[in-house]
Amino acid sequence: MSRIGVFVCHCGENISRTVDVEKVAAEAGRLFGVAYTCDYKYMCSDPGQNLLKKAVAEHKLEGIVVAACSPRMHEKTFRNAAKAAGVNPFLCEMANIREHCSWVHEDRDEATAKAIDIVTMMVERVKRNKKLQPITVPVTKKALIIGGGIAGIQSALDIADSGHQVVLVEREPSIGGHMAQLSETFPTLDCSQCIMTPKMVDVVNHPNITLHTYAEIEAVEGYIGNFQVKVRKKARSVDMAKCTGCGVCMAKCPQKKIPNSFDKNLGFRPAIYVPFPQAVPNTPVIDRENCTWFKTGKCGVCQKVCGPGAVDYTQEDEIVVEQVGAVVVATGFQLYDIGPKPAGSAIEGYGEFGYGTIPDVIDGLTFERLASASGPTGGKIVRPSDGAEPKSVVFVQCVGSRAREKGISYCSKICCMYTAKHTMLYKHKVHDGQAYVFFMDARTPGKGYDEFWRRSIEEEEAVYIRGMVSRLYQKGDKVVVMGSDVHIGVQVEIEADLVVLATAVQPREGADTLAQKLGISYDKYHFYSEAHAKLRPVECATAGIYLAGACQGPKDIPDTVSQASAAAAKVMTLFARNELEREPIVAKVNERFCVGCLACRKVCPYGAVEEKEIRDRSGNLIKVVAYVNPGVCGGCGTCQATCPSKSVELDGYTDEQIMAMIEAL
Amino acid sequence: MNKTARKYESAALADEGYWTSVSQAIRQEAVRLLEQGAVAGVVGYIAGRRTGTAMPVVAATPDQAKELIFSPACVNNLALYLTKAKKEVRAKGKLAIVAKGCDLRALAGLLGESQLKREDVYIIGIACAGVYGAHADRSQPLCDATIARKCRECTVREPTDTDLVAGTLPALPALEPLEAQELARLEAMTPQERWAFWKEHFSRCIRCLACRQICPFCFCEQCLCDRNRPQSVETTPRPAGNTAWHIVRAMHLAGRCGGCAECERVCPMDIPLNLLNRKMAKELKELYDYEAGLTPQEKGPLTEYKEDDDESFIK
Ligand SMILES: Cc1cc2nc3c(=O)[nH]c(=O)nc-3n(C[C@H](O)[C@H](O)[C@H](O)COP(=O)(O)OP(=O)(O)OC[C@H]3O[C@@H](n4cnc5c(N)ncnc54)[C@H](O)[C@@H]3O)c2cc1C
Ligand code: SF4
Ligand code: SF4
Ligand code: SF4
Ligand code: SF4
Repeated sequence: MSRIGVFVCHCGENISRTVDVEKVAAEAGRLFGVAYTCDYKYMCSDPGQNLLKKAVAEHKLEGIVVAACSPRMHEKTFRNAAKAAGVNPFLCEMANIREHCSWVHEDRDEATAKAIDIVTMMVERVKRNKKLQPITVPVTKKALIIGGGIAGIQSALDIADSGHQVVLVEREPSIGGHMAQLSETFPTLDCSQCIMTPKMVDVVNHPNITLHTYAEIEAVEGYIGNFQVKVRKKARSVDMAKCTGCGVCMAKCPQKKIPNSFDKNLGFRPAIYVPFPQAVPNTPVIDRENCTWFKTGKCGVCQKVCGPGAVDYTQEDEIVVEQVGAVVVATGFQLYDIGPKPAGSAIEGYGEFGYGTIPDVIDGLTFERLASASGPTGGKIVRPSDGAEPKSVVFVQCVGSRAREKGISYCSKICCMYTAKHTMLYKHKVHDGQAYVFFMDARTPGKGYDEFWRRSIEEEEAVYIRGMVSRLYQKGDKVVVMGSDVHIGVQVEIEADLVVLATAVQPREGADTLAQKLGISYDKYHFYSEAHAKLRPVECATAGIYLAGACQGPKDIPDTVSQASAAAAKVMTLFARNELEREPIVAKVNERFCVGCLACRKVCPYGAVEEKEIRDRSGNLIKVVAYVNPGVCGGCGTCQATCPSKSVELDGYTDEQIMAMIEAL
Repeated sequence: MNKTARKYESAALADEGYWTSVSQAIRQEAVRLLEQGAVAGVVGYIAGRRTGTAMPVVAATPDQAKELIFSPACVNNLALYLTKAKKEVRAKGKLAIVAKGCDLRALAGLLGESQLKREDVYIIGIACAGVYGAHADRSQPLCDATIARKCRECTVREPTDTDLVAGTLPALPALEPLEAQELARLEAMTPQERWAFWKEHFSRCIRCLACRQICPFCFCEQCLCDRNRPQSVETTPRPAGNTAWHIVRAMHLAGRCGGCAECERVCPMDIPLNLLNRKMAKELKELYDYEAGLTPQEKGPLTEYKEDDDESFIK
């Protein structure tokens, strides 16, 4: 290939400010094999692309180098333009003179010299590029949703309604997530259960949804369109097919005093239980740690009383394998624990608030359970210590959040709003009570949000004190709150009956482990990372995996539901096709030289390498070599770096290309 | 390398009876295997034409097997004959092999690297007293003065996981660990001194590639150092190419080389190749607690993908 076109982009001023683009174009023109060069203000624009197409036709170009931004930004754009101009897209490469050059240098002469080097290297590479054909892979039109909170439920319903199969995997015995625990919801104060439970029922009744509760993801393999997922269904000890959900077992279980974590341990449950009456599915599980039968081998009451004979103590974990084409991760959040911090935790904890040892200092979710009509108190707000009605309640915002010195610098986004909500719920139930709120700022962007917050002050008479709380301690039956009011610059001390901490929203424990199984990335707090903060907010960088809800970052219900529907739309777009085109950047084995040491198989992170036997015509084994399954290969190049005999190479990144680039310097 | 003159002992380390009994045991088993048709050939040693020498052979008949011996001159690592590179040997069918400790380490490596299947080879292990060093005076018996350096500090004299063990090990005195001393001397150098040390040695390399040809692990059908499109390593014996070759050799053998020191023995330029090999092995032991060739291992530290690989060095 000897007719190469070099197109140098100014990127507005992003490149031309530090790089003499005209000089780069002129120098490129002297390179052996370059038939045409030019520079242009915005190569990626429509006129820029047309310029490229026209040059290909006029100068019979056979290879293209676009000297502009990172290939991550526009490689696709220019390869499509090349294709439209009749050039195999893989004969078009980008020379990154923006991120790798103009943005990181100041000296114009040096930057220009470097840009010329970068272009020269890419010209040498393109000379050795081969025409590659895209690989097509079939799409399995079935989606996996991990997590059955409102995010997972919404995605599942949307995808299932579009006619595709959905597998929903939930770790707990019931779907619902946090929303099932809430009382009433901002900004409209409708009852959470009333809007949530019908959706939960829709899930279990939907013909296109397979629900695995009390289940976890064991392993994920494969790639977009073709994932194989192993799901571990934990032993429920109750046969779901036989159980009618009558609840006799729960009524008769002699173990009655097990703290119910769904109610934040304010209430109790038996050892065979559903977490809450509206649970979906309405099939109990046996908590084997607390069940007398499992502890001592005696009891067996639930089995005796169960009419249909559904209780089965011998049940074991079951592994189900599902083939899916797309994955939506919706594993939600957990609240910052106010208890003592485990050793080695990066998060500091609040010794000054008593580390959760003061009984009447609770978190927001516990308050939700107290205020909920279906909660342990039937919606009556009482203090955990003595069951008395609290006449003064102090709410403290930003506990854990926006506290760099405590280990978390982000804003948890929902606490301003739910604290405002809590003051209202409190006032609605305890008319003569007084709510105080310590806050740093009130952050209320959102439709109807600021109005809602104002209402809590103006109509429900909550007293907002701008400032931080420095200490909480028990004094008699009161909790003393020591804080400051920065507006008037005084120290404030309130003797409260109840203190509610709006603790930070954190990703679930184990979010990182799941991410590693899925091969997706996460930030330093373990929130999952989207592919692009602005333009691709629901996709992971790993193709075929999407994000919904609070697992990506703190979110309220409207945001969660919007993102869940967006993720569903992305899945449907994927499922609208029967086949997917994959970039043919995959490894190929040179079978003549491969000695079958299979070092490549050992290092391949995608499990793409197999053993292949080469036989002669009469079937005698000549040798065993490695074979790369192009559908599975992720194009990482690890095998290429490992192979001692250099018998495996990545198309588009061959040693010959790379060496030519180095030698061009 | 030892600057100070040192007096070496010339007392034989093992008596004649030991060598004869090992040879006897090998012959007996080889004859039996061939007579019963259990194997197509036995890879072993026969006496060379000159006294004090031996050479590898593939005995294919019971009569040939009666000639097999074991003596201090049996220096070659016979595992070499089982690598795929030696197609004509493997083509004969299932083979038996006479294996010293270092040959066994190589065999374990070949098993782990899919070059060999355990069921395709019958291993006659040797309880090995040691062999001659490269420049030994072979008119002397095996003694402090004639024994190979690697054998002075050998840890694999008693074979394991073999089908048969030939001979019993005589009581051997502890010998001064010259290789370890040399390694310690090298490690005590400044990086500049060390670089000068290797530069001097590499500069003498004539690129005959005897070290590669003798190494049981250099089994590639086309060595990357012979490739010319693209050329990774300059082929003429000039400093740049020599250094590249020796770095490639050291890196490709790290975590694999079992320390047979055959490369060093055959090097016509006396380049201390095994010193480099030992240094690499030591690094792997320290970094990954890994030792090559003790058992056939499916994955070595440098050929393994782990989700929790330490990536802290990526900044
Ligand atoms: C105190 C409080 C009050 C709130 N009040 C309001 C309000 O009034 N209005 C409002 O809009 N928002 C409110 N929110 C926010 C709301 O709770 C969240 O926006 C919403 O719950 C996020 O839904 P989700 O599905 O993303 O996460 P979650 O509700 O956390 O659901 C995640 C689900 O995934 C499951 N899961 C986790 N890991 C795994 C795994 N590895 N495998 C399988 N399943 C897994 C979990 O068990 C859970 O069922 C409030 C939050 C709090 C803390
Ligand atoms: S690493 Fe290289 S030689 Fe070994 S099996 Fe893979 S391709 Fe073949
Ligand atoms: S490039 Fe090689 S190591 Fe990477 S995925 Fe493909 S086959 Fe596996
Ligand atoms: S045997 Fe010695 S001279 Fe020959 S290539 Fe190897 S190191 Fe160089
Ligand atoms: S590098 Fe040398 S010592 Fe190591 S296995 Fe090869 S020949 Fe033996």
